[in-house]
Amino acid sequence: MKNHQDTTWIGITDKNNDPELQDVAQSEFVGLPIAEALSSEKIVENASANRRDFLKYLGFGLGAATVASCETPVRHAIPYVVKPDTIVPGVASYYASAIVNGGDFCPVLIKTREGRPIKIEGNPMSSITKGGTTARAQASVLSLYDSDRLKSAGTIENGTFTKGNWADIDKAVAGKLTASSNIRVVCNTVMSPTTKKVFNEFKGAFPNTKVVTYDPISSSAMLQANQENFGEAVIPNYHFDKAQVIVSFGADFLGSWISPIEYSHQYIKNRNVSKGKGAKMSRHIQVESGMSMTGSNADNRIMIKPSEQGAAIATLLENLGGGGSPYKVNAKAAKALKNLASELQANVGKCLVVSNSNNKAEQILVNKINDLLGSYGATMDFGAVSYQRQGIDAEIQGLVKEMQSGGVDAVLFWNANPVYDLPNGDAFAAALSKVSTKVSMALSMDETTSLCDYAMPTHHNLEAWGDVEPKRGQYALIQPTIAPLYNTRQGESSLLMLANSPNINNTSERPYYEYLKQNWGAMATTAGFSSGRQFWDEALSNGVYATKASATVAGGGVQVGGGSINKPSSAEFELSFYETVNMGNGNYANNPWLIEMPDPVMRTVWGNYLAVPINWNESDGRFEGFKGVGRKVVKGIADKLKVTHNSVEQTYSTVPQFGQMNGTASIGLGYGRSVVGKAGKDVGQNVYPWCTIDADGNTQYFATGATVSEMVGQDDEFGCVQYHHTYGVSGQYDGETVNVDEVDIVPIGKGYQGAITDRTVLFKDSLSNMDGLLEDMTKKRNNAKHLNDATLYPFEEYSAELYSQGHHWGMHIDLNSCTGCSACTVACMAENNVPVVGNREVSRHHEMTWLRIDRYYYGEAENPNVVFQPVMCQHCDNAPCENVCPVNATNHSSEGLNQMAYNRCVGTRYCANNCPYKVRRFNWLDYTSADLFGGNQNAINSEDPAYYTDNIVRMVLNPDVTVRSRGVIEKCSFCAQRLQQGKLTAKAEGRRLRDNDVKTACQTACPTGAITFGDRNNKEGSLVQKIKSPLVYRMLDEVNTQSSVFYQARVNNKDEKLDA
Amino acid sequence: MTLRKCWIKSMSTNYKQMIQKSLFFNYILVLILGLSFSSTYAASADEGKALFKQYCAQCHNKNMKDKLTGPALGGVEERWEGREELLYAWIRNSQEVIASGDPYSVALYNEYNKSVMNPFTFLEDDQIESILLYVNGMYEGTYGPKPVTGEVAGVGVAGKDETNNNFLYIALFVILGLLALVLARITANLNYLAKVKEGNAPATRGTLADILTSKGVIGFLIFALIVFAGYTTINNAIDLNRQQSYAPDQPIKFSHTLHAGQQKIDCQYCHDGARRSKHSVIPAANTCMNCHKAVKKGSNYGTAELTKIYASIGFDPITDTYIEGYKDMEEDSIKAIFTKWIGDTYKEEKGLAKTDGMTKDGQRLVDEQWEGIVSSLTSDTKESVYGPIPWVRIHNLPDHVYFSHKQHVTVGKVECQECHGKVEEMDVVYQHSPLSMGWCINCHRQTSVQFADNEYYNAYESYHEQMRAGDRDKVTVEDIGGLECQKCHY
Repeated sequence: MKNHQDTTWIGITDKNNDPELQDVAQSEFVGLPIAEALSSEKIVENASANRRDFLKYLGFGLGAATVASCETPVRHAIPYVVKPDTIVPGVASYYASAIVNGGDFCPVLIKTREGRPIKIEGNPMSSITKGGTTARAQASVLSLYDSDRLKSAGTIENGTFTKGNWADIDKAVAGKLTASSNIRVVCNTVMSPTTKKVFNEFKGAFPNTKVVTYDPISSSAMLQANQENFGEAVIPNYHFDKAQVIVSFGADFLGSWISPIEYSHQYIKNRNVSKGKGAKMSRHIQVESGMSMTGSNADNRIMIKPSEQGAAIATLLENLGGGGSPYKVNAKAAKALKNLASELQANVGKCLVVSNSNNKAEQILVNKINDLLGSYGATMDFGAVSYQRQGIDAEIQGLVKEMQSGGVDAVLFWNANPVYDLPNGDAFAAALSKVSTKVSMALSMDETTSLCDYAMPTHHNLEAWGDVEPKRGQYALIQPTIAPLYNTRQGESSLLMLANSPNINNTSERPYYEYLKQNWGAMATTAGFSSGRQFWDEALSNGVYATKASATVAGGGVQVGGGSINKPSSAEFELSFYETVNMGNGNYANNPWLIEMPDPVMRTVWGNYLAVPINWNESDGRFEGFKGVGRKVVKGIADKLKVTHNSVEQTYSTVPQFGQMNGTASIGLGYGRSVVGKAGKDVGQNVYPWCTIDADGNTQYFATGATVSEMVGQDDEFGCVQYHHTYGVSGQYDGETVNVDEVDIVPIGKGYQGAITDRTVLFKDSLSNMDGLLEDMTKKRNNAKHLNDATLYPFEEYSAELYSQGHHWGMHIDLNSCTGCSACTVACMAENNVPVVGNREVSRHHEMTWLRIDRYYYGEAENPNVVFQPVMCQHCDNAPCENVCPVNATNHSSEGLNQMAYNRCVGTRYCANNCPYKVRRFNWLDYTSADLFGGNQNAINSEDPAYYTDNIVRMVLNPDVTVRSRGVIEKCSFCAQRLQQGKLTAKAEGRRLRDNDVKTACQTACPTGAITFGDRNNKEGSLVQKIKSPLVYRMLDEVNTQSSVFYQARVNNKDEKLDA
Repeated sequence: MTLRKCWIKSMSTNYKQMIQKSLFFNYILVLILGLSFSSTYAASADEGKALFKQYCAQCHNKNMKDKLTGPALGGVEERWEGREELLYAWIRNSQEVIASGDPYSVALYNEYNKSVMNPFTFLEDDQIESILLYVNGMYEGTYGPKPVTGEVAGVGVAGKDETNNNFLYIALFVILGLLALVLARITANLNYLAKVKEGNAPATRGTLADILTSKGVIGFLIFALIVFAGYTTINNAIDLNRQQSYAPDQPIKFSHTLHAGQQKIDCQYCHDGARRSKHSVIPAANTCMNCHKAVKKGSNYGTAELTKIYASIGFDPITDTYIEGYKDMEEDSIKAIFTKWIGDTYKEEKGLAKTDGMTKDGQRLVDEQWEGIVSSLTSDTKESVYGPIPWVRIHNLPDHVYFSHKQHVTVGKVECQECHGKVEEMDVVYQHSPLSMGWCINCHRQTSVQFADNEYYNAYESYHEQMRAGDRDKVTVEDIGGLECQKCHY
């Protein structure tokens, strides 16, 4: 039988069993020796204190502390003057709204406390997202409190903003826009019907106006292909849940492609294997060059070079009998595609093929494939089509030419930043200088705004009114949850005002609200409501509204027309550029929660890094390396390579990436903003300029013919969190495969402590070996029980008494449902006031995240499968951390919680040392300025003051959770504040606690429902039902920690034939 | 005979006798000490106080002199003289006594409108005795503090119990000191005698001064001093920032005696968060306006205090309307409105016509009151009188403590007064309880959970079973985890 541990690894170092990893794995707190650390911070050099000074400071400190504490400050309790009926201080109110950013759409409930939004929850009433969220939606609340936002209207000259007042700016801009001038409004996808109406009104007032829509990461070719095949430039309505075989050519549909929450939710439906024997699941084949988040979830990956994508699509079509392919793909892929074709043919009517290709001909071929496979009407249709991408790249390219020729008098930028995110941003900027009037309606200063003349800053999503129609017939309303923080104005109001529209009453307190409501009033009768008011109220309260029947239009009958697919390049090296899960197209660049969110696959933070292939030596199974880079990643040191393309040189910190095809490298888009706020400054590099434009004007997100240099230096502050807090990784030792950390930690004689060398961390296997997996799990479980029975502490006896009544909290995590999207990580940061620490701190292993998502590879080294494992405090009932605390700061509750009392903690860190799961985090610095004596330490990341000391930013803090100060350990509390709240609700209503009363932040954020929290004593509850699955195990079961988190083994549906 | 003489004499007889004698002295000392312990009944009256608070105070007045739901308990033993057993039975279960037909009991029952006194069958004899001891003590004024009057009420109540204990400690200390001294003498003498017997007697015997200046004694004293100083320092350090009895001046001289005491406005009418939020909520000015739109003159301060509310919210008491655009109004025009109101009211009181000129006294009053309004409602950071009233917060918990009023008021059904004291008798509100963690925990240890009728607690099956089986009479907050850190700290 296969041993499940020995085939798993996290990176090249443990594949090789490098000494660095052993070093790191051994120590809980990695870093320099104290003297060295201090000298690197230049404290010692600057320090001039001697013993006498020390005594003086001590004396003064004591005296000052005494004096300071003698007089209690007078605190005031400031009530409302007129208390709003809807607000009860101390009680959170939830408002239904939607987070919209270009084509990103997430219907949400916004939690507000005393009128300030502090947390985003998914809206379960939405038929699209079903209550799921993304990391970006979770983090949007922090963007609201961004103190780098534009704070009032003003003029801009040479990139410098001068504050003005709205009346003057309105007058000036209105004066420049005359009815005869050629005006262009540049925007990203606009999904709001009312905003479109506003555009039309604006066009009415200024007849020579054109709205130019583009998307920085575009689906333009797909829109064009559908226009050509079906007469509608839209994204089809996909049903991943109805597909048995899913093929994706490069589309990261679980992470960032078009509507990831919706697709993830659908995708997971067919991949639930909780019943073990007899379980069925769909097949997912990803065809790509670098390991994307979706690729990491795939059963099989077929590796192709970026330029081969068109050829691969054509080859698949050829194998399906749909005409010949003009180009060949690499031999291995060709073979795999042939096998794939026969698999698809066996599943006609149950297949779905998608592609992120931005080449029209390629997208038509994809349509043809779907047509041949009978997907139209089965797994995709043109009923409730998606409007989440509307940009046609050719339009914006047309605008560049138009501006160059001087044919444009005025440009209004509607939340768009083409100077940064176009492949030819420079050309755009140059052409823009020929336009006499440039107006920016943006949230903050960006590359494009800095080249404008006037800034008319807009409200943040959470301050604004609005509506959105992400899919045909499915609506959502956006309502403000806070009064505008700054002197900004709703963008639509600005346009209507400039257009001098008679339909808006600008003297009213909420002009656009009235406009919007009026517009919706017209929809009431068609929506089947008796009155507009009833319709409005219901839609506003629910946040979403779907028209009753959206006819299913099948599509099909695809004609392959003109246009040519991309020709595979013969160049030695190719780069692909991808949208990262956190940073999007770059407009989240100033959001530290997202910057510090580890990339799901690379596990890196604070920047975009070059992912290079690992170059594996088959004969001895050792890593040879891509130009020898990446050996010290484990130590927080990355090697830098110089990438040259089109005579532009950029130096990148480099990560060797499993599953990256030889001869290719990948870099994330959306980084390297040059005009951005404090947080986003100098984070990563911009690769948009390396994208190319094809004959149809569509942007191509890859580049051929780039060269990559030898190592040119080292990045000493490189944060790759996969190697932090690590355990249970495998490696070679004396010809045997063992867990590397144990080699150093527990050698007993020549052998190892049987129970620990073979640790229970991950169970994973393929569906075809389900019996073997179950057998293996049973064996391990019995072995663990056998070992645990030998304990001195008879757990069964005392636990029976302790947890027989009341609550006994527990959590179930389905590793098969976890796609690694990291929405939970950001939700946890938002809920629990987890500080952002910055790049340098992360590189020193000081990241504070309470919930990490470990990434493990298994299978073939060259093209492995991946498991994501969310790990938070396991709340062991036999917790090793508790009995080593000298001050009893961490202890156990009768409800099975491992509690942490910060005010008791003296920072010995014994608990973190003794935690086998490595989930405890130590506050090395005063990240949140919660320290009683502030300013008695170095600046964090040379920021002065530190990020969380900004009073505007601090408004995002959750008042129900302590803001921890320096020198204490913190960790996941199972959202104790939510448990207390949920219990209280049940008590006050005099009823038993229900499943719905308590949900942790990570649970509510998850788009696929991978996390279930509940009471293990509630036998009817969903948690208890889920734990019964034969695939459920506890991590490190054999060390008898009796943890409260239950994992469900990962099962893939791999077809070995495709890898051959 | 003095001690010294006794010893000298005994020395001259024989050692055995002398040792016996010193043992006798010891015995006497022990006896004295023992008496000093047993002679105080404070312990059981204290217990009685706790019991009374827990079981009786809901219905019987604490001053033992006035009726409440139940009769005043002062002098209860005289009333039941000679029938103590029946009294005890009545306390345990009054209905049984009434059913037995005892005429006094029946009369009492009828006098109080046949309201049934809760049965307390679990009370032991000595517990009842303790309660009666406390009742007598309170009635005769021999127990606890004398009823205090005036402004320092809070301070007085808080301090008294401790001084009692201190006296006890001092007495104990003195007695133990004496004992130590005696013992030291005895040892010294015995040593001397031993040496005399061995034949190498020193020239003189150790004097008292020698003993007191010996290394041992000085060492002990230093040790004791350090322990004492440490103890006091730590205790005081723990108490730092605690604000029991804190009674700051408020921007408006709001009297709870008037509102909650005399007018009997329910606490939660104004503090409407208490039942549904973690905060009890300081009422907004518009809550005040519910009544003070009509009641425009205060019984204590006339227009001086009430006008502050109007100035805060922008209400014109002359026209009975809210002033439009008040937020952006100049200070002078605001002043004009309210000084006119104060002036008019003054004239009305003095029987002057509104058209009459203002008297000098009147003008002074108007100026004073307006200054009062301005100084109460403005601060360094707030220039206009418009806006929230800056009440001074009295009850402050540290940031890492999560206390929920809803939990205690709605679920636990705890009376406000349990923690806040008799606010309805406070002209100036002060912090009644120490709000220390020890205080919280103590209450959690003693308080029963409202198990009955709340289905939530059905989750605690074993406790319910134990209660049914009679193995358990109550479930305290502690029993369901009320002492665990993360119940309040997270």
